[in-house]
Amino acid sequence: MKNNILKVAIGGLIAVSALQSCKPKNAGNAVSNDAASKVYVAPGKYDEIYTFVSGGFSGQMSVYGIPSGRLLRVIPVFSVDPEKGYGYSEETKPMLNTSHGMVPWDDLHHVQLSKTDGEADGRWVFANANNTPRVARIDLKTFRTAEIIELPNSAGNHSSPFITQNTEYVVAGTRFSVPPDDANGDVPINTYKQNFKGTLSFISVAKEDGKMDISFQIQCPGVNFDLSRAGKGKSHGWFFFSCYNTEQANTLLEVNASQRDKDFIMAVNWKKAEEYLKAGKGRKQSVKYAHNSYSDVTHTATSEIRTEVTVLDSKELKDICYMIPCPKSPHGCDVDPTGEYIVGSGKLAALIPVFSFDKIQAAIASKAYDGEYDGIPVIKYESALYGEVKKPGLGPLHTEFDANGNAYTSFFVSSEVVKWNIKDLKVLDRVPTYYSVGHLCVIGGDTKTPYGKYLIAYNKITKDRYLPTGPELSQSAQLFDISGDKMKLILDFPTIGEPHYAQGILADIVRKNQVKIFKIEENKNPYVTKGEGESKVVRQGNKVHVYMTCVRSHFSPDNIEGVKMGDEVYFHVTNLEQDWDVPHGFAIKGAPTGELLIMPGETQTLKWTPDKVGMMPFYCTDFCSALHQEMQGYIRISPAGSNVPLMFSVGKNQPKETATTK
Amino acid sequence: MNNKISGLSKTLLILSTILLGISMYVPIWSISLDAPQYPEGLSLTISANGIGGDVDIINGLNHYIGMKKLDNADFIEFSILRYIIAFYALFALIAALLSSKKILYTLFTLFVIFGVVAMVDFWRWEYNYGHDLNPDAAIIVPGMAYQPPLIGFKQLLNFGAYSIPAIGGWLFISSGVLMLIAVLKETNILSKFKKNKAASLLSLLAISTVLSSCASKGPEAINLNKDNCNNCKMTIADARFACELVTEKGRVYKFDDMACMVAFKKENTDKVNNALIFVSDYVKPNLLKSVDALTFIVGENVGSPMGGNYAGFSNKDSATFYESNLSAKIITWNSINQ
Repeated sequence: MKNNILKVAIGGLIAVSALQSCKPKNAGNAVSNDAASKVYVAPGKYDEIYTFVSGGFSGQMSVYGIPSGRLLRVIPVFSVDPEKGYGYSEETKPMLNTSHGMVPWDDLHHVQLSKTDGEADGRWVFANANNTPRVARIDLKTFRTAEIIELPNSAGNHSSPFITQNTEYVVAGTRFSVPPDDANGDVPINTYKQNFKGTLSFISVAKEDGKMDISFQIQCPGVNFDLSRAGKGKSHGWFFFSCYNTEQANTLLEVNASQRDKDFIMAVNWKKAEEYLKAGKGRKQSVKYAHNSYSDVTHTATSEIRTEVTVLDSKELKDICYMIPCPKSPHGCDVDPTGEYIVGSGKLAALIPVFSFDKIQAAIASKAYDGEYDGIPVIKYESALYGEVKKPGLGPLHTEFDANGNAYTSFFVSSEVVKWNIKDLKVLDRVPTYYSVGHLCVIGGDTKTPYGKYLIAYNKITKDRYLPTGPELSQSAQLFDISGDKMKLILDFPTIGEPHYAQGILADIVRKNQVKIFKIEENKNPYVTKGEGESKVVRQGNKVHVYMTCVRSHFSPDNIEGVKMGDEVYFHVTNLEQDWDVPHGFAIKGAPTGELLIMPGETQTLKWTPDKVGMMPFYCTDFCSALHQEMQGYIRISPAGSNVPLMFSVGKNQPKETATTK
Repeated sequence: MNNKISGLSKTLLILSTILLGISMYVPIWSISLDAPQYPEGLSLTISANGIGGDVDIINGLNHYIGMKKLDNADFIEFSILRYIIAFYALFALIAALLSSKKILYTLFTLFVIFGVVAMVDFWRWEYNYGHDLNPDAAIIVPGMAYQPPLIGFKQLLNFGAYSIPAIGGWLFISSGVLMLIAVLKETNILSKFKKNKAASLLSLLAISTVLSSCASKGPEAINLNKDNCNNCKMTIADARFACELVTEKGRVYKFDDMACMVAFKKENTDKVNNALIFVSDYVKPNLLKSVDALTFIVGENVGSPMGGNYAGFSNKDSATFYESNLSAKIITWNSINQ
């Protein structure tokens, strides 16, 4: 009797334990590869690739070496950087000037390497400021921000910067529609549909020196422009913008902008727009926007306010813009290396539509339209569609390409990257990302002949990937080897800020153009001091100009007297070194500003208003030499109205000998 | 017939009372959610008096798909469940104290009915929440419903949902089992099975086989430089020759060389009956493939860690290429397996 009861009991236990195994095991990656050798860059060796990574809400651009994932530099662009004196020195302050005044921070989302004939040429990198709409150009000889231009009629400069295949234009689009600058902005918010407009800006880039100028703007319906790509090859002359919020909602967009089954990709024929511009069809609008440039000759930034922009109206000029339906709240809009296929990634869609440029042209020619959207013809979905990738994953965001006809799309919701073939629209491989990937970067992924080999996924959620650092964690990035059929995870590294996007270029292209020092003879800063003999302190009313030099290991002058309360003191410091990697720093006690960090041959100015009577030391902040600790000086502040004579010297101001020591 | 129940049954009934008593206060059921961006896992627990666990986070996620917010107030069950369980606990105690077969049988019948009703009710709520979605939801996947599984596993978009009894649920089931044993003892049904031991063993085996087939049969990842060969105990370092054996029951054995695997098989024929064998592809060491899908070569120059010198290729052309390149010979799995 007991035996049978036992059997029943054991049977029950087996049943229970067997149920436990009902949880499916992940197939997972099978044998993990020898990733270490693929990412190890031996001491003294260089990385293969420079990647220029957007800093997101840090406002800066970071430079990472691939495949090591090492941070090489953080370039200050839209946020002040007290370490480098960016936005603190008199020479760099104007860079952050806008029509709203000096803005010390912004949100840098996307980067674009300058291109020649569809290939990255290593001259400049462009970046966008999302909050106070601006586009910046960074010079890749010096890795410094050379120029910033503000965009009028704009808000939420997200769909930016994206460049044409020969860097003819850097193009920007607005995420937030607003009433245009010269219309009355004081309207009720719920008159969005009547009063709010989106604006595309076409900024021309001068071939020789990269100088930017807003060539024209196109006024568009009040949708949110998200991302954009230039056509290339056969589609050169066209631009494609993903649009969402075609519902034109002004509140609770989370729900109200997700209603329509399809939003749009807007195709813009900018060559046609150029023709209209030449024919004088643009409206000249009175606006205010800043244009700032930094010169490496004068080592100074200048800021001017420009007051006019030419706007073309997409409602009036019928054959510039066309809407192509795209499911559903599209984010990415990417053009393949041949220029024929345009891939739309709808954030909330469960498929990826691929459009054909040839079919779009045919549809326009035969007017295969499905009505209009706010005056812009809407092309029939099937007429523009090449095909759809079915069930690729959840929440596609962004696509880049390799040189073998494959596309790589990031999926935020299902936290993976999916590889698929463009021609047969078949999924070839998928890899998980840790966690929730936003954009990805394939080296050369948006050029005519992608370099491929590496793919970096920039993720939005970090959680347990690295050692925890309190509630706030760095964003995570994973590096994949895509040289084979299957993608292989080879490195996992944290990043600064929040990288939204990055572009990579072969290190050799950029490496050879690097500036090592600035030649002191060529320095045309108005306050340059070209030798110690020329160093001086000059009083002009209540302004005291200190023409200072620094060299290993002293300042000249390093003793200054005769400055009074109520004075404005300008330290114009010139680094006389002409040797590689010998910067000097400058800081003064109690000054409410950042330091100066001065490169060889450069001049930078720190403005200081003394706040109390007494003795203020200053010193070199960047370890420059064996006697760096000795590189210091004093400035004496006397009360207002005192008659202490102006005195400045180095080495000469010896103590008076007292009678007893004779 | 005697209406008195045996001492054993009384003990079992009192045990049931205690188990049921405890189950009133601990989680009875749990639905755990697994997604790539939630490495820490998410879970929903259902106790007699309400839902617990990561309710707020799950509600936050659910609003994207338009699922109703989970709130205790919406479930009338939670206001009466504790009383119902208490009722059965007392019922069992009374059956023990009064030593009555009739009460025992009534108790057991009602208990099973309650269990069934509870599961049906649970299923109904899951259906309701999974299908009654807000049409204004941000994420709408055409044709998709989010009904969690009643028991077991189901993939819902990027979440794997795993529904299984929690400790309270096991206590509940266990007290049912205890009552069953008491009933079996009192009714002497098992004496009928005494004559046919084979039948009872077979039915047990049938149940466990069916249930254990839930175990997934895919290959497990081999961690290079971490896992050790189950035969020679050396660290598995060369991806090209790594191989694996997965037994019927799901137990995994890893090897650094096919020779080790074959040796292990010979010495453990009882364990490895009907096992699945996976070997890595020599040219694509990222993948473990079933032996049926591979072509093998053998030769001195292949150079495997333990001298077996076998290499597997999923692509026949690669096999032919290396056959000549390494002066090896093509060989079948059957020959290797002898």
